[in-house]
Amino acid sequence: MTTSEHADGDSVEVAEPEVVSGTDEVRIGVFPCMCGKNIGAVVDIEAIAEFSKSLPGVVFVQTNRYTCADPGQKEIQEAIKEHNLNRVVVASCSPTMHEDTFRKTVKAAGLNPYLCVMANIREHVSWVHAHEPELATVKAKELVSMSVAKAMTLEAQPELDVPVTQAAMVVGAGVAGMQASLDLAEAGFKVHLIERQPTIGGIMAILDKVFPQNDCSICILGPKMVDVAKHPNINLITMAEVDEISGYVGNFNVRVKQRARYVDIEKCTVCGDCVEVCPVDVPSRTDQNLTWKKAISIPFPQAVPSSYYIDTDACLGMDLIRCGKCIDKCEQEAIVPSDRDKIIEFKVGVIILATGFSPADPNKIPRLGWGRYPNVITTLEFERLINAAGPTEGHLVKPSDLTKPGSIAIAQCVGSRNLSTRTGCSNYCCAESVKCALLIKEHYPDTEVTIYYQDLRMHGKYFEDQYLKAREEGIMFVRGRVGEIQQYPDTKNLRVSVEDTTHNQLVMKDYDMVILSMGAEGTAGDFPLPISCTSDSFYIESHPKLRPVDTSSAGVFICGGAESPKDIRDSVIQASAAAGRAAIILQKGRYPIEALSARIMQEKCNRCGTCVNRCPYGAIVVDGTGKHTVMGALCQACGSCAGDCPQGAIYMPNFTDQQIEAQIEMALKEDAAGKIVAFACAFCSYRGSDLAGVSRMQYPTNARVIRAMCSGRFHVKFAQKAFELGAGAVLYSGCHLPADCHFQSGNHWMAKREPRIRRWMKRNNIDDDRFRVEWVSAGEGKKWQGIMTQMSEVAEKNREASLAAAKPKKKPVSKKSTKAKAATKKKPKKPTEKKHSRK
Amino acid sequence: MTTVTDNAKKKQIDELREAARPCFQCGICASSCPVFRVAPDVNPRLAVDSIVSTGQVAEQGNEWLCAYCLMCDQRCPMGISLADILIKLKNISSAEGKAPSSVVQAVESLFTTGIIAPGSTGVDRKRSQLGLPELPKPNPEHIEKLFRATGAMEILEKNLAKEGSAQ
Repeated sequence: MTTSEHADGDSVEVAEPEVVSGTDEVRIGVFPCMCGKNIGAVVDIEAIAEFSKSLPGVVFVQTNRYTCADPGQKEIQEAIKEHNLNRVVVASCSPTMHEDTFRKTVKAAGLNPYLCVMANIREHVSWVHAHEPELATVKAKELVSMSVAKAMTLEAQPELDVPVTQAAMVVGAGVAGMQASLDLAEAGFKVHLIERQPTIGGIMAILDKVFPQNDCSICILGPKMVDVAKHPNINLITMAEVDEISGYVGNFNVRVKQRARYVDIEKCTVCGDCVEVCPVDVPSRTDQNLTWKKAISIPFPQAVPSSYYIDTDACLGMDLIRCGKCIDKCEQEAIVPSDRDKIIEFKVGVIILATGFSPADPNKIPRLGWGRYPNVITTLEFERLINAAGPTEGHLVKPSDLTKPGSIAIAQCVGSRNLSTRTGCSNYCCAESVKCALLIKEHYPDTEVTIYYQDLRMHGKYFEDQYLKAREEGIMFVRGRVGEIQQYPDTKNLRVSVEDTTHNQLVMKDYDMVILSMGAEGTAGDFPLPISCTSDSFYIESHPKLRPVDTSSAGVFICGGAESPKDIRDSVIQASAAAGRAAIILQKGRYPIEALSARIMQEKCNRCGTCVNRCPYGAIVVDGTGKHTVMGALCQACGSCAGDCPQGAIYMPNFTDQQIEAQIEMALKEDAAGKIVAFACAFCSYRGSDLAGVSRMQYPTNARVIRAMCSGRFHVKFAQKAFELGAGAVLYSGCHLPADCHFQSGNHWMAKREPRIRRWMKRNNIDDDRFRVEWVSAGEGKKWQGIMTQMSEVAEKNREASLAAAKPKKKPVSKKSTKAKAATKKKPKKPTEKKHSRK
Repeated sequence: MTTVTDNAKKKQIDELREAARPCFQCGICASSCPVFRVAPDVNPRLAVDSIVSTGQVAEQGNEWLCAYCLMCDQRCPMGISLADILIKLKNISSAEGKAPSSVVQAVESLFTTGIIAPGSTGVDRKRSQLGLPELPKPNPEHIEKLFRATGAMEILEKNLAKEGSAQ
């Protein structure tokens, strides 16, 4: 099926896709299945077969005991060949169960897989109407006729794929980004690794020891950093940020902006001559502003790339008039005053975001005195103080007078678990604090250390051992969060107020130093790609359990602290996972496009732009001339665009307006006033209705379910059409608000249509209770049963009212122009106007 | 006989329970409370805990010591208004006639004289020395009207009756 001319085009414009068989005549085969006794014991399958033969377009009918079994599938394939069938309707179980099976079956027989459709006469009929065989058979017949009506206009859908550029971009070169880059590079793919800072390494590079084994952080990270620098497949771009991304999975065009370094990486030998002559002192970022560095500097000795850089905000000027001392001194002539910001452009197939988190800002918690009291420090400041490469060469001192502290308190949950900063737990801080306490005890055993915690969450592998060790070392643990810290003005010592909640006692104790165990703050959200973020700025995964490193954008993955606060081990695990997922796409070399992706019918489109706003994937693009097109590789086929298109200009394959309206018409052909037309989304509500079936939850037989991929597809006009044809009740059902929608926002758009439908109903004198919007999850079979039962009463009431009113007098047709065909059906419904209820 | 008030009380406690539900017992309120520092019986955290876990008011009477400084409100990481909860506890307890006698006296004074703390002769002397006018005397009728309109009358009577019977 793959065609190269489609492959490199952005969208596939198919106004009228060709039918594979080539004949214009629609030749439908219907295959009612008994499913053993599952269907056969309730529904009269022979009657269904007989009835099917009478339907327009049907040329072949064959019943089977088990259609899904090998012999059943073979019969379908033989029938396709023998009778030249070009549409197949299988009346058996739920499409959730076997749609894929039968698509493969017809594909093997040479028919396009999207020309096969199912009628659900098991979960929606035999299992839920077990005690009403006659009514169940009537319903099954109608479901078959609905499916046949839909099949009439089914079109072959091309199964396309796009070529994948076999290169990846990893954004952020902390430990997660480095791991992901190394994994992909080792697998043989080109990797562009982008880092904002002058060196790679991230937060891990400035830590002293890392829990739970308390091994030296830079000793394990340093070699990895060198590996990244040396790897032939990794193109390392530091001091750079991603400026712009266009394209889609497999074909992202990236524009990266690199800041000028003013030092030639190749020539610099890191001799340090320049630093000696530089006259400008600036606070050292690596050392948490506890000491100074020069305007020309290297973040730390092991930095990669191993080269100095010039901080232009601090530098006096790289010429001999203003300063230029470093240029004068550098024997290698490595300093390049003419260096300028650069734009780097390249193409990649996949993107991994490893942008990390930033430590929480202690300024936001004034009661703990950080910034005002010198001896209140953060965990990162402590890491630098205890680090042999830090400002004090590893001597832990009080910043106020540089003497050794005799007693130290560690306060937990600073910046975490607080509505005013971040509500979530930051995951790593408990283990981090226990590690800090152990480091203090290791260096200065006579120091008194107390950890004030709310809940000590030592959840990881080996963490509990460390906690035990801390207890053995005599570290005190007090349950209670620090209320406030006050400073003695003369000694600069600190008084900590905390309630010991185990003993219900107020503790006010003096300490020489307090370490605030800082949580994490998210930094996601300013990336030039529409990836959704949590309220605290961490990227949202595609599925929290089953797709934890994928995002809603195909080909974009997340790992490390950008996804949620996590420690080094978890970051590395997730980075390798993301690299593995990315490698699947790269390895295959081609990426399949959603066959049912939306297409815009240009002759109907008036370019209002509503669809652009509806698409959660940014798949609809506007070119220079104002023409809207769908990028097939980004579209996930939810249909939210079509659900609100005022022109009906969007073609949703297999769920077209025409097909859905045909289903509505067939559903309401008989006894419309007593029927429920229920629209259900494929992921939650339809599965909920299936669960009601699987659980054998009985409900009345008057519901006709119409399935679409997402509730976002349910256009206002479908409800209007159903009511115009006299439907007793209409249900729009989707995934629960706010966040259950499998297409992110379809249910929100559907909810927004409800008031419009109700206003229209009011204008047309349709009772308010005849329309319902419900949220049913795949686990709520019971709820589905309840809704069906309640709505049946509404429909029943409506039918009685319409029957009673139909006889005495004729009401004129409403002002709204309705189809003549519909008008005859509609008559019975109109008299209910009189008793319409207003809220 | 007392079911009506019991129900009202239960409803009030239920409301408090809902308001206090997010509390995770961190103790920041208690360590910030200036009253807790001098009166270890007044623990705002336990007051909330008791409502959430048992639906009971802990050790009645302690809520009257709250100075309403709002420090706990300000610092609660879960955004619970503890001061509001304590005020409501005061309302419940006073409706049952359990207000402490010092509070009852103050309200009585407000009712009879229109002033919570009666002025002393010293104050009067000082005012005349400074040439200030005499303190205005509120109209008792107006006060009574206010007391009846707000329901304070009923509560005051109840508390006075309780106090009388106790003596």
